[in-house]
Amino acid sequence: MPARDEAATVASVVEGVRAVLGCTVLVVDDGSSDTTADVAREAGAEVLRLPLGLGAWGATQAGIRYALRNGFTKVITLDADGQHVPESLPMLIEAHDRTGANVVIGTCVERLSRAKRIAWHYLRFLTGLKLTDFTSGLRLYDERAIKVLAGQEASLLDYQDVGVLMLLSRSALTIAETPVPMLPRRAGRSRVFKSWPVVARYMMHTTVLCIAQIDPARRHAHGGAEW
Amino acid sequence: MVTSQITSAVLGIVLAGAILFLVRRDHLHGPYALWWFAVAAATFALGVFPKLIPWLGKVTGIFYAPVLPIVVGLSLVLIRMLKLDIDRSKQERQIRRLTQKLAILEEEIERLGADGQRPIRATRDESAR
Repeated sequence: MPARDEAATVASVVEGVRAVLGCTVLVVDDGSSDTTADVAREAGAEVLRLPLGLGAWGATQAGIRYALRNGFTKVITLDADGQHVPESLPMLIEAHDRTGANVVIGTCVERLSRAKRIAWHYLRFLTGLKLTDFTSGLRLYDERAIKVLAGQEASLLDYQDVGVLMLLSRSALTIAETPVPMLPRRAGRSRVFKSWPVVARYMMHTTVLCIAQIDPARRHAHGGAEW
Repeated sequence: MVTSQITSAVLGIVLAGAILFLVRRDHLHGPYALWWFAVAAATFALGVFPKLIPWLGKVTGIFYAPVLPIVVGLSLVLIRMLKLDIDRSKQERQIRRLTQKLAILEEEIERLGADGQRPIRATRDESAR
């Protein structure tokens, strides 16, 4: 789980995940200025400390590369701010087993604001991916997805959402979604939906990314296979 | 006429000299040095022999020759800038990957130094991050 200045919440999330799944928990400290790394280690997590802040996706990719190097075959990513409930992680695994998809995204439909819904309509149109939530950080990646995302090609992406999903879909991996409950952020803010200028920049960035990668053949070939 | 020729000669020589100085001092490396060496040669030649410009205009068929160095110069600047951004993107990718690798290796060193007991390989099938 990527974490930047989340010392207030990271311990309870780490403990929650360990209690529910009993798996290795890795916290990637994205250049925090507070005690995030120490708190996470105390709570029983492995910790990667990035010497430079790379952003949420850069931190997530560091974790994915760690997983690949150490032979893990499944990675679940979640936010360290406490909005993702550890109890919902088994639902991702269950959905993965049921659908056999390479990537499972946990989405919370009720939480989507009006602005987000409009934005996602636009992204669905642009990318040809049939997903309800593009930015959810609650995801399960299997071995094939880990290999793709650990690669060079994914290193220059700035956001974990559209670029990552398009890369996965271009690599002929399947993406599934499953509804999960989420809490409102306890102490923090959305990284993407912070303010209008940030949203505008994000949308422009994403639009350019999509236009650069438009591939009509892919839309038709995979359009029906994903949901 | 003569003063303008002196001005252009001084500009060309100073610019070419500065570039040569930087290249010799190893402030510009490899392919950049070659590029700037060519620029130094061109500014020197055009500065000292401004008659080259109308001649070049005649050769290339450009009617208003004085615009030639501006057009050529601007396009070269654009190409240079494009190459600069390409290089920067490449370096950004390398920096990000190095940063990640550094964090991963640092964690491994700490783990090995701590007790040598904890497994490096995954013991369980799943990892949550």
